[in-house]
Amino acid sequence: MAMVAQSINYKGRTIDFPLENPEEMNVPDEILHENLCKPTTERTRRLKARCRWKHASAGEFIDKEVRAGIERMRLITESHKATAGKPEVIRRALGLAHLLNNCTLVLQDDELIIGYHAEDPEMFPLYPELAYMAVQDYLMTDYAPQPKDEAQEILNYWKPFSIQAKCEPYFDQADLTRMYQVSTMEGPMFASGYNSIVPPYETVLEDGLLKRIELAKEKLANAQAEMEKTPWDATKQLSWIPKIDLWKAMIIADEAVINWARRHARLAKIVAENFETNSARKEELLEISEICHRVPAEPCKGLRDAFQSKWFVFLICHALDRYASGFAQKEDELLEPYYNISVKDRSFQPMTHKDVVELVECERLKISEHGAGKSRAYREIFPGSNDLFILTVGGTKPGFVDACSDMTDAILEGARNIRTTEPSIVFRWDPVGRVKTKRLVFECVRDGLGYPSIMHNRIGVEQMKFYSQFSLNENGVTDDEAHRWANVLCMSPGVCGRRKTQKTRSEGGGAIFPAKLLEIALNNGYDWSYSGMQLGPKTGEATGFKTFDDLLEAFRKQYAYVTSLVIRAKDVMRHFECQVMQMPFVSSIDDGCMELGIDSVELSEQPNGWHNPITTVVAANSLVAIKKLIYDEKKYTMKQLLDALQANWEGHEAMRQDFLNAPKWGNDDPYADGIISKFYEEILGGELAKVTNFSGGPVLPVGQAVGLYMEVGSRTGPTPDGRFGGDAADDGGISPYFGTDKKGPTAVLKSVSKVQKNQKTNLLNQRLNVPMMRSIHGFDIWKSYMDTWESLNIAHVQFNCVSTAELKAAQKEPEKHQDLIVRVSGFSARFVDVPTYGQNTIIARNEQHFGADDYEYINAPL
Amino acid sequence: MTTCKNCSFYFPVPENAGDYEAGKGDCVVEKQDAKGKYWLSKPTRTDSPSCPTFKKA
Repeated sequence: MAMVAQSINYKGRTIDFPLENPEEMNVPDEILHENLCKPTTERTRRLKARCRWKHASAGEFIDKEVRAGIERMRLITESHKATAGKPEVIRRALGLAHLLNNCTLVLQDDELIIGYHAEDPEMFPLYPELAYMAVQDYLMTDYAPQPKDEAQEILNYWKPFSIQAKCEPYFDQADLTRMYQVSTMEGPMFASGYNSIVPPYETVLEDGLLKRIELAKEKLANAQAEMEKTPWDATKQLSWIPKIDLWKAMIIADEAVINWARRHARLAKIVAENFETNSARKEELLEISEICHRVPAEPCKGLRDAFQSKWFVFLICHALDRYASGFAQKEDELLEPYYNISVKDRSFQPMTHKDVVELVECERLKISEHGAGKSRAYREIFPGSNDLFILTVGGTKPGFVDACSDMTDAILEGARNIRTTEPSIVFRWDPVGRVKTKRLVFECVRDGLGYPSIMHNRIGVEQMKFYSQFSLNENGVTDDEAHRWANVLCMSPGVCGRRKTQKTRSEGGGAIFPAKLLEIALNNGYDWSYSGMQLGPKTGEATGFKTFDDLLEAFRKQYAYVTSLVIRAKDVMRHFECQVMQMPFVSSIDDGCMELGIDSVELSEQPNGWHNPITTVVAANSLVAIKKLIYDEKKYTMKQLLDALQANWEGHEAMRQDFLNAPKWGNDDPYADGIISKFYEEILGGELAKVTNFSGGPVLPVGQAVGLYMEVGSRTGPTPDGRFGGDAADDGGISPYFGTDKKGPTAVLKSVSKVQKNQKTNLLNQRLNVPMMRSIHGFDIWKSYMDTWESLNIAHVQFNCVSTAELKAAQKEPEKHQDLIVRVSGFSARFVDVPTYGQNTIIARNEQHFGADDYEYINAPL
Repeated sequence: MTTCKNCSFYFPVPENAGDYEAGKGDCVVEKQDAKGKYWLSKPTRTDSPSCPTFKKA
């Protein structure tokens, strides 16, 4: 039997909560989520049943068939050797062309969208040109590329040329060693190769690559004519040289991509005519062949074209040219014109809305099979998933006109029906958004997918405009363009469209860990609990801090040191990316790069600085406890606290209870919230805002915990909030610590709404009560909650909606709970693929129950 | 010596293809594993020595 929410008295009436679907009464809570998957067609049911997931857990691939391929490494190395002496950007284009002309293509049964990025569907490629440490690690595993000797030889060849080798000399050994600890800060991007990008898909879908080649040829002819003008003026005419090289490289890259797509067309036709015996599938393959011949060379003519063209561009930008995480796009607006052609006008590739939902499910399953050759550290911090794949829907068009469409609905319906952990979805919540679409968002949340995560539409639009003012070429987004934003990864909004999108991760993603920083601030910069080394500047013995402000100042110095180092590492990498990691294909599809002849890594028209303080709430709650018990009430001395922490509270349980019971974030407590909101705004955001990054703009915090809250928690000693050493840290950027938000869901919103200044976004995890959400009042209550959230000007919120009974049942019998999905932080994961340490952090999150006061505050229409 | 040219899995690249070269072809083979059926295509040349999957055309 399913549990039903208890009746309540509200405004003088008794409100009952019967389930919306009475048949669910017969479904036990422990297996609810195994009964929610409803693939739209038999095809997607089959595709899901055989999906080649590439989930990792504790850094290891769960499916033992998954392994690294050697083909990409081999081909780019052959090209690099053969093109020595040519301009670097031309070498990059020739490297891509050599790869695309010679790589193995994969076509799987039943697929409607085709294309893969390695020589076998169980494999993923590696990137020795980025970080040699990451590839060396793969060579020590059971899933190393084969033959291993050849892979090692390739890696040895690349070591001196790799981005990592180029960047390391610009940091002293102490700083490098501190970065590699990943306890006060994330390791540098040049040591992991971890990257993200927002591809300008729009130009490919709208123009096609043949037109982009024509544009490059026109620019090239003009540049060559300018070079030949007399009288010669070196101060002007020499500047054409790198532009000429880039436009030439664009042509090489685009022609290679077209030929590669058309190789897929040939493959589909060969299979149809020589291997396939099913006549219906033969017809499908012949249509797929036509599509792959047409796109991305030509503009898309219908929705099947658009899905396929987009997939080819994704593979190039995220996996073949170089590695980049993410699936950033404003997918509903990107596809809406083709939806209208195929579904509403039925003028090309005619189909029904249900056919569109099937295509959405097919795309979700393609992403679910996409293997990422990312480093061990990044496999560890996204347990239960392949990688961070996140698309964005909803929001507004210029003039704050609702951007939701039937395409938005198809994307949400597909996600709800097929139930995959990825791609995650961001929904831009705006008051003008249509209720029909918000209802579908609710259904995804209610069914426990953990997505869509919800972003405040108007905060995002304003941020695009804010950053525009710092544009180095005074060509940031217009007010109209500011409406077209999508999350770059989990949390940071960035513009998308034909130009000005973020092309490399130097703009963001550097994680900084306040919990550990507070720990070392209490120990004169020394890390006694994990690394046993001086991790930061000497900021004084804590026993000498006469006031709370002295402690804050020590923390500020530790934080400032780390933020500058983290962002310097990003920008040093970008400097070298500009020299040897150019992306001529991406440049060719960006209108700005095409117009100006500047490579996409270098050209930054729209700054978008975002870096991540993570484990903030452990630090913040600790500061509150210290202020109250040591500086205000003087119940304990700093010496007593330090002794208790060194003992991991052992022998100091009464004292630990005092620190544990000090006011905590998320309870609308004026004492705690006053200290903590100032901590967010003046120190975390304030210090970051002093930094100027590669793009010329300030940096703002995007608290997005990913799995680092576990990783860093395990490396952080006991903290003054009463936490034991090694326990997980807080799971969001601004989420209350597990189980400490005891005053209900609206108290959380009130606390969080107090942080407004100097923030970009902060991740807010909430766990909602399943019986309430599945009742006849579920949508009305949730929508009222969301409207309240919006009016409080909070940037983000996301939900787990799963019972503790079901989570515990899955821990006991994981094989029976393969469809149980949870929201970890900025990503959703298959619960049974998350290590137990991480599973327990999900269970420990407070399940929010609404009381009459909460309903009244959100004005629920009960 | 048997070569790809005589293999039933060899398909010459059409002359109007962007990647056409004389003697270049696609080696297309069907694979099956526990998760399903799929096909692989890899460039080859008519005079390449045959591989273990060779099947006379």
